[in-house]
Amino acid sequence: MILENTRFGRVAIEPEKIISMPCGMPGFPGKRRYVVLERPETWPFFYYQSVDDPQLAFVIMDPFLFEADYSVDLRKCIAEMAWTGDGPEALKIYVIVNAADGVPEKITANLMGPLIVNTVRLEAHQMALHKSSYSHRHPVFRKCAA
Amino acid sequence: MLKLTRKVGERINIGDDIVICVLEINKGNVRLGIEAPSRVTILRHEVFERIQAENLGSARGAAEDLGKAAAIWRQKGQE
Repeated sequence: MILENTRFGRVAIEPEKIISMPCGMPGFPGKRRYVVLERPETWPFFYYQSVDDPQLAFVIMDPFLFEADYSVDLRKCIAEMAWTGDGPEALKIYVIVNAADGVPEKITANLMGPLIVNTVRLEAHQMALHKSSYSHRHPVFRKCAA
Repeated sequence: MLKLTRKVGERINIGDDIVICVLEINKGNVRLGIEAPSRVTILRHEVFERIQAENLGSARGAAEDLGKAAAIWRQKGQE
């Protein structure tokens, strides 16, 4: 299955890797099927490409790469999605990356709304950590170079 | 939009399994109690709006900027 995305061209989709989101993404409720696209040229950033809308793709990354102490209480998500019984290794945590300001040095990640992917069931849900102190615009790059 | 007037202690049912109760009114603040199944997501609207805005921003970012950000990442050796 081939999708044509105007931002980065043709994308080959493997049907067995399609992730379903029963609730969709906030702001995009009707788009419920996605794939994670890993490309060497944009690592550590991945595209979370909509299967239903070729023009729609979010940018995601592993939050632990820049925030090693990041912690998410997954119990609510597991209850909402009826994922009880799946081991913790089935769940992969991503955060949504916002590069919309046009300044690559200042891209931010939304630590308040992690995307939880169940890699066994191929389902996903975007959580809202409204009781946490995490920012929705956390800088991905530290102010000083390592 | 449906508009209802309720007193403290009175409730509203939404569908079969959601109940909202007015618990307290104090100096312009209204405290609500919500009973709903665990599969239902309940959020303050501001939180939902922030997450939605970041999703929109993420979907609009330019591919070139992402390529540049990835290059910066590699330079900094943040691995």
